Amino acid sequence: MAGERRRVLLAPITVTPSKPLTPSHLKGLLWADVMFRATAPLADVTYRYSHTTYHPTEQTLGFWEFLDRTQGDTDYETLSEEEIGELYVHYRAEGKPLTAMDVRPYAEAVERAGYVHPAGTRVLRLWTRHYERLGLHDPGLLACQPPGFGLEEMIEDLVAGGLGLDQRDVGGPVYLDATRFGLPLRQIVTADGRPNYLACALRELLPLTPRYDEVVVLYDRELDPDYQLLERVLTAKGTTVHRAPVGRVPIDGKITSARHGGWHDHTVEVLLRSLGGDQDPAVLRLGVRLYFIAVLGPGQQESFRHDLLRKSLARAERLLSRAEEKPQDPGALPALLERHRRGHTHVDPYRLTSSLLGRGPRVPAGDLLTTVYL
Amino acid sequence: MTLSPELLLAVAADRLRAARPELAARLDLSTPEALRDAKAAVAGREADDVADSAVVVAVISGFHLPTWVHETCRFALSVPADLAVAWRRSFTRTLFLAGRPDNLTERFPFDHIADDASSAWSGPTANEATTALRRLLRTFSGTRELSAWAPVTIDVAGPAAPSSRPVHRDLYIATARVTVSDVLVQVNHLLAEAVLNGLIRPGDRLTLRSVPHLSGLTAPLAALRVDTDAHSPHVLRAYAALTKET
Repeated sequence: MAGERRRVLLAPITVTPSKPLTPSHLKGLLWADVMFRATAPLADVTYRYSHTTYHPTEQTLGFWEFLDRTQGDTDYETLSEEEIGELYVHYRAEGKPLTAMDVRPYAEAVERAGYVHPAGTRVLRLWTRHYERLGLHDPGLLACQPPGFGLEEMIEDLVAGGLGLDQRDVGGPVYLDATRFGLPLRQIVTADGRPNYLACALRELLPLTPRYDEVVVLYDRELDPDYQLLERVLTAKGTTVHRAPVGRVPIDGKITSARHGGWHDHTVEVLLRSLGGDQDPAVLRLGVRLYFIAVLGPGQQESFRHDLLRKSLARAERLLSRAEEKPQDPGALPALLERHRRGHTHVDPYRLTSSLLGRGPRVPAGDLLTTVYL
Repeated sequence: MTLSPELLLAVAADRLRAARPELAARLDLSTPEALRDAKAAVAGREADDVADSAVVVAVISGFHLPTWVHETCRFALSVPADLAVAWRRSFTRTLFLAGRPDNLTERFPFDHIADDASSAWSGPTANEATTALRRLLRTFSGTRELSAWAPVTIDVAGPAAPSSRPVHRDLYIATARVTVSDVLVQVNHLLAEAVLNGLIRPGDRLTLRSVPHLSGLTAPLAALRVDTDAHSPHVLRAYAALTKET
C-alpha cells in the first residue's frame, strides 16, 4: 500500500452557531477530532466542516431575521453564548411561519457575499476559544467555505441521477427520492425555494464525494433516516460511504434539543469553568476525550456525570505521566492506529480511545497522545 | 345553460345518489352544507367497512395537462368492469402521490404507466393494499394556480369499437383560483366517471379548453364536475364540464 494513500473525506454535521455548545455537541466535536487526527497518519484526510454551507437553512436565516427585527442594532460582541442562545429560544418560541420572501435578503447575502450575522460571528469566535483550549483542530469556523454546488446544480444532479424529484414547476417541493431502495421520499426544498439542512449537505457533498475513496459522515443518531438517504445518494457517486452516528449526552436522563433552551448549567463554557482555569491543558484535552469518547461510547444511554469526567481527567494525568517515562518508537504509530481501522480507512475513535482504558497499567505511546489527543 | 346554485346542488346530489342509491334516500341533500355532511357520513361509513372501499393511487412525477388527461382516460378505460363498479361506489376515489414511477416499478406492479413515465396508476384496490406505497411517497402538492392555454385536442387511445363511432367533445376546465392539485382531483373525477359511464371511449377526441370560470357556456353538457368551492366552504363550484358531441 506504500505510496497509495487513500483519500478520506470526513464530514461531520455542523452545530448551528445560534446557541451555546452543550455536552452533546462537544461529544460530536471530540469524536470527529480524534477520527481526523488518528486517520491523518494513514491517509490523506480532509476534515470538511463549513458553517457557510449550512447558513442558508431556515433555522439560521430565520433567527437572523428575528434578531434584526426585534433587537435592532445590538453589540453582539458583548453577549455570551448563553445570552445569544436565549434569543434563539425566543425566536423558536415565536413560531412565526416564514416565507422565502422573509429571509431572502439574508439568503442572498450568504450566497453572494459570504455574509454571517454578527450574532453568528460572535458565537463562532467564542467557540474558537473553546476549540483552542480543548485542542480541537479548527476546520475553519470563521472561514467562508461555500459549497461546490449552487441549489439548482444540486437539484439537477439529483434528478439526473434518478434520485431527485423536482415539482417546483407545479408549486410543489423538491424531494430526495431514494424510493428505489425502499426509503421514503424526503422533502429537501420547499415549494418557494427554502432548503433544509439535507439540501445544504448535498450541495456540499455531491461535488466533493467523487474526489475521495471514502467518505465518513458523522451525525447525531436521531438524524439516522436522513443519513441513510445521504449514504445512498453519495454511494451512487462510486465512493465508499460510512455512516458514524454519535449518540447525544442526556442531562439527568433527558435528551433535549438546544432550541428549547434549558442548558443552563450544562454548557461547555460552564463545564470548562467547573474544571478550573489552572488545569494542565494536556490533562484537560486527554481527559475530556477519554470521557466523551471511551466512557460515554457511541450510544446515548449514560447521562452526563461530572464525577466521571473528573475521574477521566485523573486517569489522563496518570496516563500522561507514564507515557513520559516510556521510550519513544517513532515508527510504531501507524501500525498502532491501523489496528483500529476495522474494515475501512478511517480510524474508529471509540476503539482507539477505549484501548487506552484497558485493565492493567497501560502505557500509551507518547506520539499517539501528541498526534491524536493533545 | 346557467350554472345556478340550484343546478350545481342538483348535479352534486345526483352524483351521490348514482354512486350510493341505497344510502341517498336516507340522506339530506337539500343544501350544500347538508350535501357536504352527507358525503362525510358516506366516507365515514366506508372507512368503517374497508371491504366495501376501492381506491386508486396515482403517482405523479411531472404534470403536463394534455398528457395527464390522455393517460387518465387510458387508465380508466383499462379498469375491469367488476372493479369499476366498486370504484364508482367509492366515488372514483383517487389518491395523488408525488413520486417517480421509474423508481417504483420494481417494487410496485402498477396497473398503468404513462408512456413518458410522468405518472402511474394502481388500483382500484382495497385501501389497505395502498399502505406501502403511501408510506413511501408523499401526498402530491401542486399549489401553483393554472395558467390559461390555447385549446388543444387529444385523441383517446385505442381503436374505436366497431359498433360505435368516434365522438369529439370539448372539456372545459376552470382556471381562476384553481391549483394543479385541484385540477388533478376535479378533472380526474370527471374523466373517470365519464369513462365508466361510456361518455369517453377509445378513438374519441377531446379538446381541452381553459376558462376562468365555467359561466356562460352555451354548448350542451354531457357531464359537469361540481364540488365544494375550495375558497368558500358553503358554496358549490363547477370545476370542469364535458360537452355533448360537437
